[in-house]
Amino acid sequence: MRDGDYNAGSVIDVRGLSKSYRNGAVTADVLKGVDLHVDAGEFVAIMGASGSGKSTLLNLLGFLDRPDAGSYRFQGADLSQASDDTLSALRNRKIGFVFQQFHLLQRVNALRNVMLPLLYAEDAQGDDEVRAASALEAVGLSHRAHHRPGELSGGEQQRVAIARALVNDPAVLLADEPTGNLDAKSAGEILDIFARLHAAGRTIVLVTHDEQVAARADRTMRLVDGRIASAPGTRPISPANP
Amino acid sequence: MIRKQHRLRRNLVLSFQLLAAHRLRTALSVSGLLTGVAAVLVMVAVGRGAERRVLDRVLAMGTDLLVISAAPAPRLTGRQRQVATTTTLRTQDATAIALESALALRAAPAVNAAIVARHADRNANTSVLGTTQDGLRIRGVVAQTGRAFDESEAREQRRVALLGPTLAHNLFGATDPIGLEIRLGRVPFEVIGVLRPRGVDVGGTDLDNVAVIPLATAMRRVLNIPYVHTLYVQARSSRQLDALEREVRDILLQRHHARAGSVQPFTIRNQAVLLRTERAAAQAMNRLIVGVALLALLVGGIGILAVMLMSVRERVHEIGLRRALGARQKDIQLQFLLESAFLATAGGTAGVILGLLAATAASLLGPWNLIVPWNAAGLGLLCSSLLGLLIGVVPAARAARLQPVDALRAG
Repeated sequence: MRDGDYNAGSVIDVRGLSKSYRNGAVTADVLKGVDLHVDAGEFVAIMGASGSGKSTLLNLLGFLDRPDAGSYRFQGADLSQASDDTLSALRNRKIGFVFQQFHLLQRVNALRNVMLPLLYAEDAQGDDEVRAASALEAVGLSHRAHHRPGELSGGEQQRVAIARALVNDPAVLLADEPTGNLDAKSAGEILDIFARLHAAGRTIVLVTHDEQVAARADRTMRLVDGRIASAPGTRPISPANP
Repeated sequence: MIRKQHRLRRNLVLSFQLLAAHRLRTALSVSGLLTGVAAVLVMVAVGRGAERRVLDRVLAMGTDLLVISAAPAPRLTGRQRQVATTTTLRTQDATAIALESALALRAAPAVNAAIVARHADRNANTSVLGTTQDGLRIRGVVAQTGRAFDESEAREQRRVALLGPTLAHNLFGATDPIGLEIRLGRVPFEVIGVLRPRGVDVGGTDLDNVAVIPLATAMRRVLNIPYVHTLYVQARSSRQLDALEREVRDILLQRHHARAGSVQPFTIRNQAVLLRTERAAAQAMNRLIVGVALLALLVGGIGILAVMLMSVRERVHEIGLRRALGARQKDIQLQFLLESAFLATAGGTAGVILGLLAATAASLLGPWNLIVPWNAAGLGLLCSSLLGLLIGVVPAARAARLQPVDALRAG
């Protein structure tokens, strides 16, 4: 069934996705026909060495970039011809990004950072501040709402970023090496939050080169030389610690 | 809709917080516009004050007045003023104009000369003006204290004089001169009135240093001349002044058997022409001010443009983040347009406040006659804001064009 037609629970369905970058005369084929399928509620890890194209794949999945070839159905809709405005709206309402470098605005406090996506959610309901506060509460940072990023630890900053990703209640959370800049303890806390979100039914796609991080996912896919090494749609390669 | 406004305001607040991070740079960026706007406002205030002063003088003389001089126009040859006096204008010319011209309300002859006035042991250099009852009316000569001479005094060549306030002060100090005797040249006169002050004319001559006496008295008893220096002709309507000038010229040419085009024994000065000249000068001044204002806006705008372009480059990362979080290209564009407009409006407002303060302070404290230019202030503010929007176009487009993925990576 997973190999067959798109089903109602499909969030991400990618076929033959390719992307190359030109740098002067040199063209680098980063992705060479990637197939990927993610159902609602899944927690998928994409593993690969640095330079394997995993960040590029995540950017394509999050509509930050457009593929050169291949099809991408998001929640069943073909978006290969979508306008920039449509993709912006999708990023705003359907995608929650968590970056390795946190990407917080240094000049404003945690609460304002979390409210940032709501600036662009014209039809969002409810009070922005209340929503941002509850998103912060979900990551256990209510007491730090009025601190600026510089006054927070790395782990806390990443939790603010997760709250920001969640504030518009997205269909999928895309995390790019979310623990890459953190010490082991903070990394553990962040992974615990992902696990909790997953348990609550949140769909998560996480990119990492760290086996231990990948182990927390339902399913791990390996990206080698621009292709998925394990066949798409197969059940997870059994995790190290089931 | 209300939500949208809330978000727009919140976005502005956020922009403000981000701009506030670079206080010095932001202040420097608007300082050009600020000083430009302030300087232009002060210039406008000075220009308007000067324009008003000149126009007031011309208007005080009346815009319905022709002044006919019994001499070719004084010519400035090098630094020397050469005046060829002609002796052809007579009192009858004024009578003829008053009778024959349909457009003239009244006409009056006048003589004037520099003279020494004396009272007791005090001397004063002054000028004497001899004219008729109508002449007093035309020139707006009014006694502040005492009285003007009447018809019979004029006819009987009585030796009565009205003193300008300056002359009265020079001869009598604080003493009331009415009823006292002065001498103009060697001729004794009785002071019957003191004139209302009129101030200084455009050329700097004190209009209050004068003695006004009946025309016949001046011609026969003081100057001993059979001709007059000046004819004043007042039009029924200031709109018909140019037609009146043609009419008066024809009458005088006919009376003096001169042909049109040949050298005429008189010159006609038209107050309306003078007014037009002054207005034209004022307009030239205004054009200059507009030019300077545009230059100031340009310079101020370039300052803001430079800072906005720098700001876009520095905030590539922030732009990428906003795009990743769902900002459309037009959201980014709007953000930078508004930031630019905000900077320019802030600079313009500060400049307007500074300019108005300076103009007001100068007109209150100093001897300058400044007119505080409220409408120019409003216009300056409007122009600043529009300039900000205009300036913002390029940086905003540049910001909006950034690809989200590239912009994020730049961080």
